[in-house]
Amino acid sequence: MSAQAHPWPGAEGGAPMSALATPGTGPTGTGATGLDDDTRDALAELLLFMADDELMLGYWDSEWTGIAPLLEEDVAFSSLAQDEIGHAQALYELLADLTGEPVDRIAYGREAGGYRQAALLDHARGDWAFSIARRFLYDTADAVRLDALAGSSYAPLAGLVAKMRREERYHLAHMHAWMVRLARGGEEPRRRLATACERLWPDALAVLAPPAGERRLLDASILTQPFATCRQRWLEELAPLFEELRLPFPFRLAGAGLPGQPRRLEPTFPEPGPEGRTEHNDDFRWLWGELTSVYRSEPGATW
Amino acid sequence: MEVYEVFRQEKEGGPMVHGGSLLAPDGELAAHYAREFYGRRQESVRLWVVRRSAIHDVADPDLLQPPMDRSFKKPVGYSTGIKQKLAEARERAGGAE
Repeated sequence: MSAQAHPWPGAEGGAPMSALATPGTGPTGTGATGLDDDTRDALAELLLFMADDELMLGYWDSEWTGIAPLLEEDVAFSSLAQDEIGHAQALYELLADLTGEPVDRIAYGREAGGYRQAALLDHARGDWAFSIARRFLYDTADAVRLDALAGSSYAPLAGLVAKMRREERYHLAHMHAWMVRLARGGEEPRRRLATACERLWPDALAVLAPPAGERRLLDASILTQPFATCRQRWLEELAPLFEELRLPFPFRLAGAGLPGQPRRLEPTFPEPGPEGRTEHNDDFRWLWGELTSVYRSEPGATW
Repeated sequence: MEVYEVFRQEKEGGPMVHGGSLLAPDGELAAHYAREFYGRRQESVRLWVVRRSAIHDVADPDLLQPPMDRSFKKPVGYSTGIKQKLAEARERAGGAE
């Protein structure tokens, strides 16, 4: 066993942890105050995207409790799922601070159509390879999104992101371990993993699709990198691994060779539109019924 | 699948104490599982994850429980005796403290 931590290649990019220890020294250090309405709305939208992503991932993955492939993984995977629900809670709280709406109502009081998780998080858990592939694609995309928020001028968010990144780094290492094992684990695991990747890639792009208010967030330095840049970084970091594991990677280099034009990885399938966070499938509508049932039984109750 | 033994340290500088064991396909996943079993509630600052097969097991009774009287190797007699001698010496000194 190797003694060092072993994240997937590139996971050690980004700022060192020590640089994150003192988050939130930006111009709007006192929270919501100081943000104009449009910027606040843009921030609220981004927080909702992230919180809904984390909540749905947490719920879907928690469905493995009791039936994961081995007992130890069962405990570990359930614990990871709890971590994501914890992240969702913290993000909903930031959102509540911003909008004044009660946290529980934001999390559980919306109609199914009001949720904004990426299409990647709409799917039921599927088989084990599907859950691993989904989680790996999400965790890697989320990692670059968190990188772009680590230096956020919105202090509460920068502070939360610093904490989340420390957990996510370790989640990622766990998922990477499974990706490698399934990819090299013989015909059936490999086939199931490849099928899952194939199926999930288009929906995974929705995680890093830019929110409508991105320009505002960049201008206010709440977001420090455009989502398009995040997406390029994400794909560039994943490309070598998918090549090494011979897994589907449906992207091609565009713009290479032209002077002054940076190379870009572009999908070989039609670019998904903005509906990736607004149009949900039947899997999600079922999940929505489950996860809001307690709240809807007595809206406004204090638990 | 192999059995791994997990030792945990509760705080910096403290002893490594056996926490328990777990089953894992390899060391990398064993480390992940150890974290979930013995570290997810922030109850540990360090874990040692050891393949059970790497442990030198010593349990031979001839080695550890030999049949001969070994009481002379134990400090018990000496320590009870010395308390008595100390009391007598104090007595002789007339209780002068």
